[in-house]
Formats: sequence, structure tokens, C-alpha cells
Amino acid sequence: MFGKKSLHDLIQELRTDQHVSFWLEMDEQPANSVAFPKKMDDKIKQALRKRGIENIYTHQASSFDAVLQGENIVAVTPTASGKTFCYNLPVVQRHIYNPDSRALYIFPTKALAQDQKSEINEFIDDMDVQINSYTYDGDTPANIRQVVRKAGHIVITNPDMLHSAILPHHTKWISLFENLETIVIDELHTYRGVFGSHVANVIRRLKRICKYYGSNPTFICTSATIANPTELCEELIGENVRLIDNNGAPRGKKHFVLYNPPIVNKQLNIRKPSTKVVNEIAATFLKERIQTIVFSRSRVSVEIILSHLQELVKKELRQKSIRGYRGGYLPNQRREIERSLRSGETVGVVSTNALELGVDIGQLQVCVMNGYPGSIASSWQQAGRAGRRSDESLVIMVGNSNPLDQYIFQHPEFFFKGSPETARLNKDNLIILVDHLKCAAYELPFERGETFDGCEIDEILEYLTEERVLHEQKNKWYWMNDAFPAHNISLRSAAQENVIIIDQSHVEKHRVIGEMDTFSAMTLLHDEAIYLHEGIQFQVEYLDWDEKKAFVREVDVEYFTDANIAVQLRVLDIDKEKQMGPSVLQYGDMMVTAMATIFKKLKLETFENIGSGPIHLPEQDLHTNGIALTFTSESVLKINEKALEQMLMGLAHVLQHVACVRVMCDKNDLHAVPEVKAIHSEKPTVFLYDRYPGGIGLSESVYKQMDNILSDALNYIQQCPCESGCPSCIGIAGVGGISGGEESIKRIVHATIGSILR
Amino acid sequence: MSLKSKLNRLKGHLQLENKSMDKNEEATTKDAIFSKEESSSDKQLEDKWASLGFVPYYFEDQVSFVKRTIYPFHQRNEFNKIYDWWKSSHLPHPLSCKDVPLERMMFFDTETTGLSTGAGNSIFLIGYARIVEGGIEVTQHMLSDPSSEAAFMYHFLQDFTEDDYLVSYNGKAFDWPQVKSRHAFVRNVVPKLPAFGHIDLLHAARRLWKHELPSCRLSIVEKEKLSVFREHDTPGSMAPLLYFDYIHHKDPKELAGIIEHNDQDVRSLVTLFIEISSRLSYTNDFKLSAKEHIQIGNWFNQLKWTENAFFHYEKAIDSSDKDRDEAYYKLGLMWKKCGNLEKAKTHFLQALSIQSIPNVDSFIELAKIAEHGEKNVGEAYRYSKLALEQIKKSVRLTSKETALKLKVEKRIERLANKLDFH
Repeated sequence: MFGKKSLHDLIQELRTDQHVSFWLEMDEQPANSVAFPKKMDDKIKQALRKRGIENIYTHQASSFDAVLQGENIVAVTPTASGKTFCYNLPVVQRHIYNPDSRALYIFPTKALAQDQKSEINEFIDDMDVQINSYTYDGDTPANIRQVVRKAGHIVITNPDMLHSAILPHHTKWISLFENLETIVIDELHTYRGVFGSHVANVIRRLKRICKYYGSNPTFICTSATIANPTELCEELIGENVRLIDNNGAPRGKKHFVLYNPPIVNKQLNIRKPSTKVVNEIAATFLKERIQTIVFSRSRVSVEIILSHLQELVKKELRQKSIRGYRGGYLPNQRREIERSLRSGETVGVVSTNALELGVDIGQLQVCVMNGYPGSIASSWQQAGRAGRRSDESLVIMVGNSNPLDQYIFQHPEFFFKGSPETARLNKDNLIILVDHLKCAAYELPFERGETFDGCEIDEILEYLTEERVLHEQKNKWYWMNDAFPAHNISLRSAAQENVIIIDQSHVEKHRVIGEMDTFSAMTLLHDEAIYLHEGIQFQVEYLDWDEKKAFVREVDVEYFTDANIAVQLRVLDIDKEKQMGPSVLQYGDMMVTAMATIFKKLKLETFENIGSGPIHLPEQDLHTNGIALTFTSESVLKINEKALEQMLMGLAHVLQHVACVRVMCDKNDLHAVPEVKAIHSEKPTVFLYDRYPGGIGLSESVYKQMDNILSDALNYIQQCPCESGCPSCIGIAGVGGISGGEESIKRIVHATIGSILR
Repeated sequence: MSLKSKLNRLKGHLQLENKSMDKNEEATTKDAIFSKEESSSDKQLEDKWASLGFVPYYFEDQVSFVKRTIYPFHQRNEFNKIYDWWKSSHLPHPLSCKDVPLERMMFFDTETTGLSTGAGNSIFLIGYARIVEGGIEVTQHMLSDPSSEAAFMYHFLQDFTEDDYLVSYNGKAFDWPQVKSRHAFVRNVVPKLPAFGHIDLLHAARRLWKHELPSCRLSIVEKEKLSVFREHDTPGSMAPLLYFDYIHHKDPKELAGIIEHNDQDVRSLVTLFIEISSRLSYTNDFKLSAKEHIQIGNWFNQLKWTENAFFHYEKAIDSSDKDRDEAYYKLGLMWKKCGNLEKAKTHFLQALSIQSIPNVDSFIELAKIAEHGEKNVGEAYRYSKLALEQIKKSVRLTSKETALKLKVEKRIERLANKLDFH
């Protein structure tokens, strides 16, 4: 091999690849700029000119004008479009008007907060203004904290800190709250689901404290592209907002390629594993030292791809040039990886969606996705990682065999033309609401008749009084408990506790290498599990469930582990019910009991099952919302048991995937469980439920759209090229029968759905 | 200790029945801004509080309860001595009450509804002791219910002036920030919080006794160092629960134990202040252990009270306790600093002579004196070798020891080179 190939050469080669199923070329887009707004102070203009900026993009100008008129805004901007000016410019302008004014910046993670601090400080340094901006997070030293509280004009923090360190100690922050004029919420789209529901309540508390101290701040939010930014923003902050989406930033040429791996088993419609294909594709770029980022959905797959890539290119590159990046890594390690990416020392990075957020890692040229990331918004966020600046870039999405991916590959127009996901949160989820009412009551007594930013709460407060958490006196509720409520409430996970992972490979030097939420730990950190961390295999020697500690030791084995979970469902209360053909659809409260049962050892190369073992861990309960689709028709009831079981499994499989597309959520948020004889009805039933305590509104949406979901499913099964069911449609293959007669499961599933719709 | 002397010591804590209420009545008429019409249940509550010695103080439509008690002050002589000693001191010291008028010292403690320091943690009892002509006056302010915080804070603040000086136990980290936090809630209706001077005795207790005592909690210090034994004491940790019970039943008797606890706490602070100051000043015929002398010596040394540091180290040496070798070593360092190498050397040698396990640092100091002071390279080499030998005896080196070992090895190498050349 002589000479290096450029990205352009490799793109030309890829064009001839027969497995490319779709190719979209997005042209360059020129900038759309306007002159500096009239109201903008000369100091700001000078600072901008100093940086060679003579005019600003249209969306930046609109944001500036709207905020200065006191409007709340949500700016929807793609990656690298200069969104920080959308908030920094008006905040600085407000400071020039009123030097006492304060601003609070909220970023979803500490890393982003650090990034922003350096950025705004550079900008301020170019100006003749006295603005102190500080980050306030878990790493802030005690002696600095006091300075931040008293003198921080811009306080940069994250929702967790706001929740557990700032709001409960508001009496130390009086000068901030009295003078708070602007609240900036970056990466708005990340505040959805459980996390979003928590944060919306933290915002309710924040507004309550501001009101107490007499301030009424304006909100500036920024978001990646989602279907409903205005709606999400209004839900999150409880205020009307103005949408700013006139993006004026330029964009380089971008190629978006869908790559469907070859079919290796025609009968079963099984394709070559996407992980392997991703490895090969990524390696061709990495060998040419073209900076490439690989996204994969699960932590395990990140680690598998990482070790393969390091192996594949070890002759060309040093091992450290390819790094992993995911949630379980400790912060220092993550910072170090981000740095070496920016410096170019690291050429490749394999990541879960942890890097979806706007951490600045500089310019990557190629983005490879292992499978559809689960949502359109996510896909664009990840794709935005390639070509942040204005040159040519390439995004390759490699398809999986699962129905969702194949659906997308069958219908690329859904992906490229369809509207992106709707982000939802449910701030009135009772469990979350009660948690935050406790925190709010701790912060400030409630008066009878007072609402929680519009939500009526007297009844809950009365309940908390009965529980002796609050005390009512002269129509006011006072906190009357010796606990500190915010410490027991985590915004990030429904399961409150995390399992600490301790490496005991070296006897004298045990060290903590990561942590994991308890629900994931059930399946990833059970005894004997292989846990992968930065490409290194660890075996779990002992999981101390009571103490929430997993002790691991480094090993070198040829397999990874995969655990099964047994789920049982009880219907607690039915809120809604409707007849659908011969079937009944119900929506209501459910109790899900999950228990890890066994794990399998799967060979790394072939995914071949080479052994298994039991898992002994206690059950975990989940109280949530769900739907039950119950079958009562003669034709279903006479299917023999084995076929019925398979039919329900197949149906659950396809319904889950299609429903996820319809209600626009991640596959992990909405689970499906088939039961041949459900406890509440004693009839064959398929359940779909929200994966979070109290529910986040997904199954309710499924209930409303069930007609569409069923017809999508029917349509999808019809279009699947397989003969009698495959992993891409109903998840299984095979034949069963009605009263002994041979008929494929696929046919039965098809017929069953058909009978409902008729 | 005989029973009689024990009782004498305890006298300050034995409640005597000569409580004076006169002051309260005076104050009531003076301070009451607004007297509300009492409903019958309010009246009942006031009667119940009265049975515990508390009288109502009104503020707008709120009420808080205040109790003042005068105890005889048996340690007045001791107190005067140490007070005079502080007055005669020239250098600053965190415990110094040099510029504080006697009656302005407030021995201060609070009881709260929790241990967290956030906005939801309330103070329900503020107590303080002052030394007055007739003895020790203990004043306690009680938050009768959470809606009366303004009254509570208002009347508490009526008692104070800018020159008041707090003496507390962990008040710098806990009680005072907590008072500030509570004050923030009523800051628009009550006067501003004065900026008090503050002596925190916990820091002093830690200086003196952290090596001796399992913890420096006030109850442990009382028992081990003040010979104060409380009978039937309600532990402070029960305070939140007792207050919650009171809030639900509205029966002040449930708080009697914690009120008594707080009262004893603030009087213990007076005793503790005397005890610690007496040790520092070596007045009032205190017998100190060598360890205490050394700890006090270290503290004075840090604060540059050199004479006092010398004094306490010398006292430690005189005590003939087994801990006194450290005093020799410390004195050695001090002499070295003054430039008296001869005296420094003697002290280091003496430290080594009484140690069962010789201290590496003394060898190193001797080596330095030999090399740089006496220009005796051979001697310096010998001491360095001894130091290394000693380091090597420990089975597992800590990272600090490893670093020390490296330094000593370098010193030896350097000295060996010098020896070769001469």
C-alpha cells in the first residue's frame, strides 16, 4: 500500500459498495448574518470585532432582541452554530445595564459547565466589564464557594447541585436570588423522561425561591432539534416561551450513508452482525489517521468494539490513540480523554451517547453509528459530531437486524423527512412531585392555598403532615423533620442507589473504577459477570447487594456475559378501557416485578453460547403505568399453547418496536411483556409499560394511538422479506399451529393483528 | 478524689433554687411591642410554660418564651485570674478575651431540629450564660412554634449589642451559620444581626486533647477533663425528636430534659473556658500531663508566643512523664531557630537518650548541626547512618517514610563524597 488515502478518496470508494442502501448528500450552506443589534453596547461590539466578528448570525440576533424585551426563549440550533452567543450576549448586555444583575447557567453535566466557564471568561476578558463567572459544583473548594455565593455574577452549575446544594441553602445565596435576572438552560432536549420530570420540579422550586426574594428571571433555553421544543420548554419552566429557530450558521458538505450489512442467513433473514461491520468500517478510516467517532448503544458493545478496534489497528497506531468514553468512567478519566481528543493525540473514540452533549472535542471527520441510536434527535446529535467546522464530513449508520433498524432502512424518508422525536416529561408524576414538595417545604414553608407553580398541592401537604414530615400551624406548613430531603433524592435515576465497582486485582491497592445504577447492576454486575471497563475485562467476584458494592478482578477471557430478566406484571388499577375488535385495551397502574434469572456466556467473536449460570438477587419492584392488550376471540383462544406463547412473544416484539417509533421514545423506556394467562384477566395478554416508577406518559400515548400502532405493525410484518418470521420482524422464526394444523407464527401474528383492526 | 471535693467541683452544675424572675418582669413590659389578645388555648400554653419558668414575650401577633436563671458562680476566683492573665497578654490568641468586657462574654449554645445546615433546619432553643454580679445568668429563648420565628429572633436580638462576644463549642461551623440562616427568614421584620466576635472552644479542645480523647464531643470533654458528671441527662441528639413531640402535643414538659441539657451546656462552657485558659496560663494550680504541656507548647509556638512555648515544653520535661521526649525534640528545634546550636544539640541528644525507639528526626537534626554548624562531616555521616538504620527498621514504609529514606540516602551519599575528598 502506497500513499495515504484522504477522506475524499475513501468516500469515493464507499460509493461503489453494494451494501450502501441509501446515500444523502447535504450541500454546504452559507452563513446568514445580520448587523449588530442597535441595543448592543459598544463594549460588546468591540469584543466581537476583536475576534474578527463583524456581524452575527440571524438566530443570535433574534435571541438578543427577544431576551432584552424580557421574553423567555428557546433557541433550537444544530451543533456548532454558535449557540453560546444566544445567551452570553444578552447576559453581558444586561450586566452592562445593571452591574448588580446576576445570571444562573444550568448545564446537564459538570463537564459542559467547565467548558462554558472557559468560553465565557475568554469573552469577558476581551471586554472592559467586571463580570465574575464561576462554576459551582461538587469539585468547587469550600473557600471558593463563599466567593461564588457572594460575588458570582454568573454562576454556572448543574441541576443536581441546584437541587441538593444551592436551593436547600438559599439563605446563603440571598444576593444571587435577589438579583437574578437570567436563567440559562442549555441542552434542553436532555431534560426529558424521569430526569426531565425531576428537573422541571427543581425549576419549580427555583422559581419559588426567586419569588420569595423578589426576582422574576427570564429563561434562555437552547435545544438540539426535537419535534416539540416549545412544548418541552414550557413544560420544563412553566412559562410561555418564544421559539427561535432561524439558524444562520454555515455548514460544510456532509454525506449521510445508511449501510445495511449483508444477509448471511437467507431463510432466517439474519444479517452480518453490525458490530463486526462497524469495526471494519471504522478501521479503514482510523488506519489513515482520519479522526473517527463510533457510537454504540450499550456500554458492553462500546467496550467490545473498543477492544476490537485497538486490536485491528495496533500495527498502525498506538493503543492510546483509540479510547472508550461512556457513563461509567470516573470524571478525571473522562476529562483526560476529552483533552487528548482535542489535541489530536487520540484519533478514534468509541462512545455511548455520553458524548451526544455539546462537550467540545474539536473536529472529527467521520461518525460511525452502530445501529439506529433509537431516536431521530439522537441520530442528528451524533451525526453533528462529524464536521463541526465547515469541511466535508461523513456519517455512516450501520443497520442492526432488529425491527426498528430495518424499519428505518426500509423507510429512509421516515428518518430524513419525518419530524424528529417529541420529548416528554411528566412533572406531576406523583412520586417525583412528592419528593420535590418535601425539598420545597424544607426550603420555605408552604401557605395553605399556595400552588407549586400552578399545581395544587394542599392534599399532598396534608398527607405529609399525617406522616409527620410537615407540621401545619396557622395555615402554613413547616418542615418538621430532622432529615435533609434533597440528599435522598437523585435526579438521574429512578432507582436511587448506585453500585460501586471495586477493582481488587491488586491486593494492596483496591480502587473504585466506576459505578452503576442498581437496575443495570442486576444484569451487568451479578456474580461471575464479565464487566468491561476501558477495553479491559473484569470478572465480578462478589456482588454485595446490601452494601451496593461489586468486587471485580481483571481477567482475560474469550466471552462476555448476557443476563436474562424475568418479569411479572400485576394490574393495580384500570383508568381507561376500550374495545378493539374482539380484544380489550386497558390503561392503568401496574406493578412490575423484575428478577434477574440466569446469565449466558457468549463467545466474543461468534456470539455463540458457551455456558450459563444462575443469578441470585432479590426482586425489584416497579410501580408504573402501562397498557394491557387482552385477547378474547375464539380464534386466538383455540391456538395451542406453544404456538400461542410464540405468537404473543412475536406480537410483543413487533408492538414494542413500532410503538417506540410512534411515541418517539427509546426502546429502553417502553418495555413489552407477553403473558399467556395474565393474572388480572386470565387471558392471553401483551403488556407495554413505562420503565420508570410512576410512569412518564409513554403508555398513555400508546393507548391513544393503538389503532395506528397496530396498522403500522401489520404493514411492517407484511413488508418483511422473510418467510415465516425473523429477528427483524417478530423476533423469532418457526411454525406452530391451530389445532395441530401447521401454520407459521408470522401468519398467526398477522392474522391476530388483522382481526383486531377489522 | 473524695466525695466532698467532687461535689465542690460540681457545684456550678447543681441547680439551686434561688432563681430570680425580677429581671424578666421588667423586661416584659419594656420589650413587648404588641400584646395580643390571648385565646384560651394560648393562655393554657403560657401556663404550661410558666411551670417550667418561662415567661411569654410578644412581638406583633407572635409570642416566644424566655427564661432567666441565676446560678451562684463558685469559680469566680479562678475566672478572675485567667481573665486578668488574658488582659495582661500582648499577642493575639484565638481564645483571648483581652478587649472583651466581662459581662459581654456570652457562652452560647443552640438546639436545632436537625443536624443538616440547610434552610429547613430550625433553631428552637437559644441559650447563653453571662457572668453577672450575682453569679452566672443563664438566658434561654424558646421557639414556641414554627410560626413564631420573628418573635423568637426579635427578643433574642434585643439582648445584644455590637460588643458582645460569643463563646461556643463548634459554633463557628454550626450554631452561628444556623442563626444567620434563620435570621435570613425574618430579616425584614427584625433588627440586623450584629457582627459578633467569636471564640470557639472546640478548636481549643481539639488542640489540647485530640490525641488523648476518643472524640472531642462536649460530653466526653466534660467527663474526662472537667470532671462533670451529668445524671439523667437528655442527650442533645434527642433534641429534634423531642421538639417534634412537643409540636404535636403542645406539652412543654416534653422539652424539660433538653432545656436542662442546654442550660448545663452553656454553664459547662464557662467551666471549660476557665479550664483551658488555666492550662494555657498555668494559673489556678493545675496539674497538666506532659502531653498537654506539649500540645499547648506547640500551639503557642505556632502563634509565636515563644516564651510561653518554652515554658510549657520545659514543664513537660520536668513532669518526667514518658511523653516528654517530644518536648526535648521540640525545644531542640526552638533552640536551633534561636541559633543556639549547643543547646539544640543537647536537647536532641536528650530526646534520643530517653526514647526506647529513637526518633529519626532527631538524628537528622543532629546530622545537620554537625555538618553545617560544627563542620564535622564525620559526625554528620555517623548520625545520617543512624537515621537510615532506624528507617530501615520499620517493616513497611509509608509514602512519607519512603521519601524521607530517599532524602537521608542522598545526604549520606553527599557526606560520603565530602569525606573522600578531605
